[in-house]
Amino acid sequence: MDCLLTIDINTSAVKIHAFDMNGRVICWKKGSYPTFHPQPDYSEQDPEQIFITTLFILKNLLNEHIHPNKYKVKAICFSSSMHSVLPVDKSGNPLGNAIIWADNRGVKEAELLKKLPQHVNIFHTTGTPIHPMSPLIKITWLKNHDAERFAQTYKFISLKEYVIKQLTGEYVIDHSIASSTGLFDIHKLKWHQESLDFAGISTERLSEPVSVFNDSIQLKKEYCVTLGLSPKTKLIIGASDGCLATLGAGIIGEGKATITIGSSGAVRVADKQVLRDEKQRFFNYLLAEDYYISGGPTNNGGVVFEWFAKQFGDFSEGLEFDEILNDLFKTASHVKSGADGLLFLPYLLGERAPLWNANARGMYFGLNINHEQKHFVRATLEGILFEIYSIGKILETHRNFEDVYINGAYASLPLWTQILADMFGKTVHINDNHDSVAMGAALMGLTKLGVYSNLEEAAATVKSIETYHPNTKNHETYMKYFKIFERLSHKLSEDFEEIVLLQQEI
Amino acid sequence: MNNPFILYQEKSKELETFPYIIEFANHKIQNIQLHSHQIKLSEGIKICFITEGKFDWNIDGQPYLLYPNDTSMTCPWQTMGGNKGVFDIGSLMWITIKPQVFEQNGELVLGDWSGISETDQRVIGKILSLNKKPILSRLKSCQQIFQNLETELFAQEMGYRTRINHLIDELLITAVRHLSKQDNLRRDFPQTFLKLEQTLRENLSDPWTVEEMAGLVGLGTTAFTEKVKAFSGFSPLNYLINIRISEAIKLLNREDLSLTDIALETGFYSSQHFSSTFKKLTGYTPREFRKSKD
Repeated sequence: MDCLLTIDINTSAVKIHAFDMNGRVICWKKGSYPTFHPQPDYSEQDPEQIFITTLFILKNLLNEHIHPNKYKVKAICFSSSMHSVLPVDKSGNPLGNAIIWADNRGVKEAELLKKLPQHVNIFHTTGTPIHPMSPLIKITWLKNHDAERFAQTYKFISLKEYVIKQLTGEYVIDHSIASSTGLFDIHKLKWHQESLDFAGISTERLSEPVSVFNDSIQLKKEYCVTLGLSPKTKLIIGASDGCLATLGAGIIGEGKATITIGSSGAVRVADKQVLRDEKQRFFNYLLAEDYYISGGPTNNGGVVFEWFAKQFGDFSEGLEFDEILNDLFKTASHVKSGADGLLFLPYLLGERAPLWNANARGMYFGLNINHEQKHFVRATLEGILFEIYSIGKILETHRNFEDVYINGAYASLPLWTQILADMFGKTVHINDNHDSVAMGAALMGLTKLGVYSNLEEAAATVKSIETYHPNTKNHETYMKYFKIFERLSHKLSEDFEEIVLLQQEI
Repeated sequence: MNNPFILYQEKSKELETFPYIIEFANHKIQNIQLHSHQIKLSEGIKICFITEGKFDWNIDGQPYLLYPNDTSMTCPWQTMGGNKGVFDIGSLMWITIKPQVFEQNGELVLGDWSGISETDQRVIGKILSLNKKPILSRLKSCQQIFQNLETELFAQEMGYRTRINHLIDELLITAVRHLSKQDNLRRDFPQTFLKLEQTLRENLSDPWTVEEMAGLVGLGTTAFTEKVKAFSGFSPLNYLINIRISEAIKLLNREDLSLTDIALETGFYSSQHFSSTFKKLTGYTPREFRKSKD
């Protein structure tokens, strides 16, 4: 029987899934790797570790499940997180670790670019917000602060390109990953000169951009042998995880949006048109040629609730962390919507959309003498979701959506999903796939293999298994609190800045 | 209870039958005396338990404040003493044990008296040698062990030798277990795991065992293996191999290193062991991998 593998290189792990030709999961395996923080603002990963982990997991999955069951691997489709930068020398050897999306060392470079007139055109041309996360800013940082490494660099590539280079010997980048670099013209599908000039590089120092459906690359002979794969196995380069999660949620087409909440989060819509926001609050990334995923990312998703659980969860009975989280969710469910008047701003990690303020900080507001621990639990959860709603609300000024589709480990918890339905006042759906990114990569791969004639048809096969309807009364309550939430978030910007200055002195 | 005492090996007859105990004391300080606690190297593994007062100490160049129920644990290569060279007012108990072998790389042989298995002794040695925090806070269970030691040593009832040997084993195990647990709260396994990974990378040439890795993060081997597997997708040993190969690939890019150098540096027994593991995973021998880059 034929099968398709998807390889997703995300921030914490590589996940490899095997799908049958009907898009059903046969088996999967993951292998994690760490993020290093040599300085507080830095987030780095070891490219060799990511490559070896990928190879290891791939090999084990093949040997344990695929080969013994006589599956034939028709194709492998790749996905990865966005925005990583890895400088490599002429022989393809990494010059240090990869700098990943969470790395904020380029704050000053981003501020500088935002003051220059060309930043408006760079933003609208490349679709990527001017932010330290973007490779444009990271490469500029290297130029300004690590001139030696910058000069030695033969190419600036992403972790996905590195893994593909190791497996095939080729430097190629898909249009989707390229569209998240801040260096790529998402309308003309080529590197954008204005960005290159700012970063001080030429196109030779980047990989060749190719279609997400590209399958011209070939697995090196040695890997065919060790992995037991036929040299005819197609390698489909694929797209970025954020875009594929949207495809995997089945929302290609009008009137739909996805909410993803894992440790961070995002609200996204998919369309054939670029979404133009004059205030530069939303990204436009390419899922595929002519398919744009637009939306806003938040730093403060599940990670904030995990922070809360670590500080205030009850560890006395030697419970595991998951059990402690569940206990807290139970506690939260015993408090009414609105947490009896306690509000929480969740900006513990600064915030991207819609504030785009790295200095934003967290706060509990409205505390009175009757508030108990359970109100804090509820308010924390609601604060995280108000932030998601604030992205969705502004997104709605550009695109109408009536149905919301959920993915990510946190968003799909019943309590969270219900609160989202109530806040948005919309029907919220949970899909039948446990991993939207893998599903999206599979749908893309199967489209390339001709199983589906286009991505819309592929997306239509995703079915929702659970639907949450909004409670009108709760919706009204949330809207009252949200007004204050939104106002506070803007009002406090001066105070955020001042407290951050003090925090930086520590 | 006995009056405060300090017993020294070769001076106090109580210690004659226990040549591995260098010092054993239950000490009360009522007034501060100059030079009463100068900073110097311990002669062995020194464990101090504070019963009363507040002590301002310096261990390996770092200042520490110790309060009742705190325990300090220092190795022969670490200096310790009062921050001002004196004992502060208060009471404390301590014991210094001289292992047969204790190297800074973690090699530890306690001696024939100890009932701790060879494997566990290696784990203890490793944990102590990598430990950077010599203070065990609020470890009250040490007090009971010290008191039992004192009773046995002075009463010398039938079987006291065996009892004392056991009590010292127990003291070591209690302290080291606490040491590996206090920094590795179960609420944050990812953080614990990241710290373990950093330790492994810094000591990659060591032949790590699962027992040692588990001991280092304060877990039993079964629980450790399960947690690592659930978190990372790998068994602990496979995770380690991944790190070894990742580092080896980096070193392979350096022309000046021989394959044997790389193998040993990254913790393989030999260049053959390195080559076969490398080939099994990547399909290349290290030599071919090097060439493929040119």
